[in-house]
Amino acid sequence: MSSRRRQTVAVIFGGRSVEHDVSIVTGHQIMQAFPAASYEVLPVFIARDGRWFTGEPLLNLQNFQDTDLIQRDGVQACLLSPDTRHHGLIINPLAPRFSKSVIKRIDVVFPALHGSHGEDGSLQGLLELADIPYVGCATLGSALANDKIMTKMILRQAGLPVLDDYAFTRDQWLEEPDAIIAAICEEFEFPLFIKPATLGSSIGIGRADSAELLRASIDIAANFDRRILVEPAITGGIEINCSVIGYGQRYEASTLEQPLSWDDFLSYEDKYLRGSEGMKSAERLIPAPLNPELTEHIKQITVSAFKAVDGRGIARIDYLVRPDEDEVYLNEINTMPGSLAFYLWREDGYSRSDLVEKLVALALEAYAVKRRNIYDYQTNLVELASQRGLKGGKGKR
Amino acid sequence: MLHPVLISIWLIGVWLRIYQQAQFYQIEEYMSGRYLRWLLAERARALPARPLLAWLFGIVLCILLSEETAIQRSHLVLSIAAIIAILPPPRRETKKPLIITSRVKRLLVSSGLIALLVLTAAQTWLIVSAPADNIVTISASAAIGFVCFLLAPLWLVAGNALVQPLEAAIRRRYLTQAAAVLQQINPKVIGITGSYGKTTTKQFLRDILSARYHTYATPKSYNTLMGISLAINRDLADDFRAEYFISEMGAYVEGEIERICQLTPPDIAIITEIGPQHLERFGSLENIKNAKYELIKNLPPAGVAVFNWDNPYIREMADLGYPATRLTVSRELTIDQAKARDLTWIASDIEESLSGIAFRATRVSSGENTSISANIVGAHNITNLLLCIALAYHEGMPLRDIALRVRSLRPAESRLAPRTTPAGITIINDAYSANPAGVVSALKVLGMHDAGRRLLITPGMIELGELQESENRKLGLLAAKQATDIILIGRSQTAPILAALQSTTFDQDRVQVLDSLQDAVSWYQHNLQAGDAVLFLNDLPDTY
Repeated sequence: MSSRRRQTVAVIFGGRSVEHDVSIVTGHQIMQAFPAASYEVLPVFIARDGRWFTGEPLLNLQNFQDTDLIQRDGVQACLLSPDTRHHGLIINPLAPRFSKSVIKRIDVVFPALHGSHGEDGSLQGLLELADIPYVGCATLGSALANDKIMTKMILRQAGLPVLDDYAFTRDQWLEEPDAIIAAICEEFEFPLFIKPATLGSSIGIGRADSAELLRASIDIAANFDRRILVEPAITGGIEINCSVIGYGQRYEASTLEQPLSWDDFLSYEDKYLRGSEGMKSAERLIPAPLNPELTEHIKQITVSAFKAVDGRGIARIDYLVRPDEDEVYLNEINTMPGSLAFYLWREDGYSRSDLVEKLVALALEAYAVKRRNIYDYQTNLVELASQRGLKGGKGKR
Repeated sequence: MLHPVLISIWLIGVWLRIYQQAQFYQIEEYMSGRYLRWLLAERARALPARPLLAWLFGIVLCILLSEETAIQRSHLVLSIAAIIAILPPPRRETKKPLIITSRVKRLLVSSGLIALLVLTAAQTWLIVSAPADNIVTISASAAIGFVCFLLAPLWLVAGNALVQPLEAAIRRRYLTQAAAVLQQINPKVIGITGSYGKTTTKQFLRDILSARYHTYATPKSYNTLMGISLAINRDLADDFRAEYFISEMGAYVEGEIERICQLTPPDIAIITEIGPQHLERFGSLENIKNAKYELIKNLPPAGVAVFNWDNPYIREMADLGYPATRLTVSRELTIDQAKARDLTWIASDIEESLSGIAFRATRVSSGENTSISANIVGAHNITNLLLCIALAYHEGMPLRDIALRVRSLRPAESRLAPRTTPAGITIINDAYSANPAGVVSALKVLGMHDAGRRLLITPGMIELGELQESENRKLGLLAAKQATDIILIGRSQTAPILAALQSTTFDQDRVQVLDSLQDAVSWYQHNLQAGDAVLFLNDLPDTY
């Protein structure tokens, strides 16, 4: 038995994102995966409106059905301080009378946020400022993978297979919708998929068989993002997902799955809640029924793509595959996959606790690597400037 | 001589019953009159059979066994009888379990104490007046326990009365705090009232305005003075971003909206629909109208009011000429009619389908217009949207931004939201205070479903006062046209619907009257299949 003290892991979930609810589920799956003997789990819940909370009641998923949860005894406001010396949460920051704020030190942060303000590099930026190790992709990888337009640009550059697309902004759409429709119809044939650039799951995504539906779908997508892309819908293809973990030189791709949908497109609830309990056989095929060569090919693409976006920690990469033609198209990279793709890693011999511990280890490794960078570089510039005065003499009279 | 075990059992029983009854007291919003009326409406509630029988049986058994030497045995028999009597009734599925708020805690403590006091006082009196320890005194002791048990609702009511001064003080502090928060944040306040459509319109408006302004709306259907102040204290405090605050104002009596307006003085008012909702509590439609008009009266002269012109009562309000800026909307008038009557916005080219509504919204004075489509069903939502469009435009949002945002609106929770189960059955849920206008829309939506059977599950409409019977008759007649199968829940209040159905050619074999929602759900789960549709109309509270 290790004599090392228990590590404090802050699991951050909820968030200012349309995937708020899914994140609550993922967050709880992660918190439960940590063995209590070696980790102290600290729940950090970001409400829909962006307020931060921590406390015992947040450890129980049942409590999230209560709309007044944040007012319960034991739930306290908190914030993650960007000040490196705090190295953790400030609980009860604007302490009212008869209470005080305290600092709760954190060893490692496990972001379980999906989508905006969490999976997109923004939270990662805060954690970089705070100088706390954290699980998952860093700022750059998160931001790149979060944006489908950017992801595809990078992957094209890296020679990986992605579909062509037509990308534009909401302002362009509001200015000249007819020109955009014409350009899309010129370039592609129906059916088409319309996607907000940065949304995960299926929210805001539409499929159009006609110009009229295309307009309606773009209208909806434009409510969720400033950047929109349209791509051809591959007919006769199947969806294949593959997860990847790793950092530095060592990456590992998981068993492949083929998610099944009873409708021709996954509805939102489908994507996350299926397969959580005994539905495995009905909702997804694991391993996916592909020949060994194609399977291996997809695993290789998965690792290459994750490296290309400077990935670290974990991701689930989604593909469209036409097995008979050996065609593979990379669809998107989710740097915080729902349920952490536990169900895939189980096939590769990782238990839930193995997986979260592995990810924590990778976070600490990345943190150590970052230490090799020099951030403090002393010069006598300020001394000189104060002696000579600033250029232009603005500061001097 | 005291019988501590027996007395303790009854005391626990009293407490348990207080706890059980608190759920219903809470549903009746701590209104003692309403709660006691509910309680006395059915014998089983006021005088439950099992406790009565267990207690009587215990007493009879004691008398049969009565011998001077058997006092210990009597004690035992009566104690066992008491335990059987106080065992909580089997738990039914409850839609609204008791929510343990601070107020409920105070209520439980005070009524528990009153019960303890009464029981102890009565037992003490018994000992003092009849010191002999015999079958008579022990039976009397059990009788006191039983009566205290039966009277648990009374202790609850008394407990509530006892904490009233405290509750009032807490409420005052809460209101003062909320008023201070609102003053500090200083958003533009939009008040929404109406007999129905308030919550839906509020959520639409919040979502539309949010595309440009930081907008906060009271959650769910919080629409009472305390609900609104709770929302302000909990969610608006310290949020200096808020530019608009949307306050849904409900009313059961005149003066209620006036009080809410004092807490959240409106700059903008929206009146959605006026109809016989809660007629029972108001007395007359005239009273309802007066109550809703309180919102307009509380606007400053420079304020803005948005009226649903299609509703005759609201039209009268608009015609009163206050305030100067009045936005009126209609989905019934043509552009020429609207121009002649000086309306602000109209809807035309209305299309309705199972997937949503579409129409053209036109600003009457300038002719500026846009096509609007939303994935929201129900014709009444066209009016709700039009009210929001009129206001959002007035507040400076470009029409195209409004139209864009409307595309992504979703129906409010439990309000006419169709969804398909994995088994392929379409569920249309309108499980929230059904009202005459909503019922028409909802049944039309059901009627549009032409793939399979169309099942209506409803307990009918309530709280419509003298109009209740005729409105439910209308519901029956309409249902006969739109549904293929009908399940009525509860016999008494659905009688007018059944009568109406029997007067039509509707196949009577396809009408059933069941006792509970659970029965109805299990029926449809066993009898419907992929392609069929179910409409849930009005989910009654547990007290019905």
